[in-house]
Amino acid sequence: MTNPLSLWNFYFRNKRKVLPVIGILALAILGVVVTDSLLASARETAYATFGSYQKLILVAPRATRDQDLANPLQDSLMRLHDVQLQVDTLDGPGGITSYYNAVVALPAQVRAQLPAVQRLQVDSANARYYAARLRGDLVPLGDLIFRVQRLQSEEQAFNQLVNQLTQNPNDPRPLITYLQQHQTFLQSVLPDSAQLGRLQLAVTSASADANGLQQSLQAMNRDTANLNSAGQNVANLPLPPSPSATIDQFRSALDRLTASLGSIEQPQPGLDKLLADSAHIPGTALVKRDAYSNLDINLLAGNAQFDLYGIDQPGMTQLLTLYGDRVVAGRLPRQNASEIAVSEEIARARHVSVGSKLGNNVDELDRLPDAFTVVGIIGGPTRLGVIPLDYMTEHYLFERRYQGLIVIPQAGHAQAVHDELQRLVGIPQAGHAQAVHDELQRLVGDQAFRLFDWPYIKAKIDSLIANLDSINRFLILLVTLVLSLVVGLLNNLFFRQRMNEFGLLAAVGYSRWGLIRRVALESFGVTLAAWLLGVGIAVAVLSWFNTVFMVPHGLLMNVFDWNVLALHTLPIPLMVFLFGMGTVGWQLLRLDPISIIERRD
Amino acid sequence: MLSAKDLALDYRTGGSVAHAVDTVSLNVGRGSFVGLVGPSGSGKSSLMYLLSGLKRPSRGAVSFEDRDYANLSGAGLMRLRRRRFGFVFQQHFLVNYLSAFENVMVGAVERDHDTAAYAQALLHRVGLGDKLMKRPYQLSIGERQRVAVARALVHRPAVVFADEPTASLDQATGHEVVNLLADYRRSGGGSLLVVTHDPAMLSDADRVLQMRDGRLMAA
Repeated sequence: MTNPLSLWNFYFRNKRKVLPVIGILALAILGVVVTDSLLASARETAYATFGSYQKLILVAPRATRDQDLANPLQDSLMRLHDVQLQVDTLDGPGGITSYYNAVVALPAQVRAQLPAVQRLQVDSANARYYAARLRGDLVPLGDLIFRVQRLQSEEQAFNQLVNQLTQNPNDPRPLITYLQQHQTFLQSVLPDSAQLGRLQLAVTSASADANGLQQSLQAMNRDTANLNSAGQNVANLPLPPSPSATIDQFRSALDRLTASLGSIEQPQPGLDKLLADSAHIPGTALVKRDAYSNLDINLLAGNAQFDLYGIDQPGMTQLLTLYGDRVVAGRLPRQNASEIAVSEEIARARHVSVGSKLGNNVDELDRLPDAFTVVGIIGGPTRLGVIPLDYMTEHYLFERRYQGLIVIPQAGHAQAVHDELQRLVGIPQAGHAQAVHDELQRLVGDQAFRLFDWPYIKAKIDSLIANLDSINRFLILLVTLVLSLVVGLLNNLFFRQRMNEFGLLAAVGYSRWGLIRRVALESFGVTLAAWLLGVGIAVAVLSWFNTVFMVPHGLLMNVFDWNVLALHTLPIPLMVFLFGMGTVGWQLLRLDPISIIERRD
Repeated sequence: MLSAKDLALDYRTGGSVAHAVDTVSLNVGRGSFVGLVGPSGSGKSSLMYLLSGLKRPSRGAVSFEDRDYANLSGAGLMRLRRRRFGFVFQQHFLVNYLSAFENVMVGAVERDHDTAAYAQALLHRVGLGDKLMKRPYQLSIGERQRVAVARALVHRPAVVFADEPTASLDQATGHEVVNLLADYRRSGGGSLLVVTHDPAMLSDADRVLQMRDGRLMAA
């Protein structure tokens, strides 16, 4: 004979009261598991996306200042015409030449009396010389400006083509027309290395000549002022032309342009030395020049730039070997080709396969320029993306493609290596990779380059997730508190409905602690059932979501993360149980059966 | 068997003291049927609470089978009520999610087959043999009170305390309920102490005690 007051009877005879409570709690637990799992997924996916940093250090320029090139060109473009007019004016009627002629025409008697006139003649001769040189300098510079103007109009035509193709992707006619019209044009507009060298010389020369002209004009004015202050006005000598602010501004723009053109030819001065020095750091296994780029991918917690290593062909194979990856479809990119190979997770995330395109033309958030053809899919434990170094360095003269290095420390080296590194860097270091990192940091200094390694990347990811984690924890706390309150109130309501039952049981001799234990077991059963149900539903939902969304998008999710399933969800049932039992238990302890018996309702 | 000596129960309200029970002495013999009548507020229910151990007296002593309640702990009194006493109140206080049979078994101390058979027999005896599995809301008020009577008797108590058991019933049903209790007494089950405001319900009582202002009066 079973106890009529058994838990079994209670649950099954009070389904309509118990199930909603179980449902609410289970839903809350489901919510916590889903948000927690997504957060954990975001973290794990981010770790995996940047997993290659676990075995290498990226030495990269501190910033990609594209405006270094763009602004001087624009400045020059704007000021060129002004300078040309200025030089023409200087050289025209009443200009430097006529002034020089006037000085030369002064009688010998005057010259003998005024030695300052000799100085004035020299200065005006210099000014005439520099003005003539500057006119010559401006010819190739004008050609550069012309090319830039054509490139700018070309960009507009290109954007128009992109719009047309976006609107009618199945109509290739605009593309064919564009290619026919612009193929040879593009080849003619883009300068080669030799032209760039000449251009740089012209710019440097123009800058120096502009400076010389300006100084000469200043000297002429100074000479004239000296003559005037001595009260020795010379009849028939006109006022000299004034120094020009326009020329100063132009010169400053030219100086910046000189620096930019230099960096086009040699992107990072000092990179070669850095490459050589890095290779000699004890404990370094491999150093590769890296014309890196990025792909935009979604990490759940926001978009991130997935690093592509722009390395040579042997380097690609070495990199795959280092990580235990392999090409599972297609092949690695060929030399000097706009080709790319990426890990399968990244391919899934970007919905591409062998033959598809990736790059800025496909997704404007990609830093990878143009459109690279996916020629290979990489499989293995670490997510990688590789592009050819030579293509990246030789095809983008006017778009600066910075280069860096990837430095791979040797794994598991002996203590001797550690000691040697410690001696080199001069500070105590815990690990081998850290020592290489610090030695590299010493080499690159604190200006042009910076180092990206796993501790740095991981700290960045953790910092990003930490904010979300805090929000999530706050929400869990809020949900727990609200639920405790709501379910606690429901419990109280339910308890009050059962007051007669407890009053009778206390009156006929059921012990108070027995009643409390009974209510506790009832609550425990409800919260346990809710927890199990919530976790069960959560596992089912996450499994489904993992299959239909996460895996196809290259995102990682651990459906059976017991840390999330067990630990993170427990506060809800625990708090609800404690809060509910606290209030009900308190009322049971204070229960006066006589007041219930005497109630006349 | 159950005796009270100079029993008193005071209530303090503000600065004054009300005497709900005022120096009452009483003996309830084994197998006797004692009726307790009186107007509302005369203290008869309070006296019953004192005699059954539901309340501790302000003064005086109560003993059952020579055990003084003063020497019993709260748990000891609870055990006494649970094992030796049966209770019927004005309201049935049935657990609404249990059947009539299960409600009777709530009163059982031992939950074995014999007790279950006895519970069923009791329900047959109170005329609910065909409604064993009915829930309280499926029974009439009189039927519910009869289930409450069966619950009070299922563990064969030595004393049954009935506090206004017929107050919410009509005359005929009230008589039925009191008769059921009287039958238990007649069949040698135990003593009966019935508190009521209706003397007509006490036709079978051995003694009827009148209470007024907390004191026992001659009936």
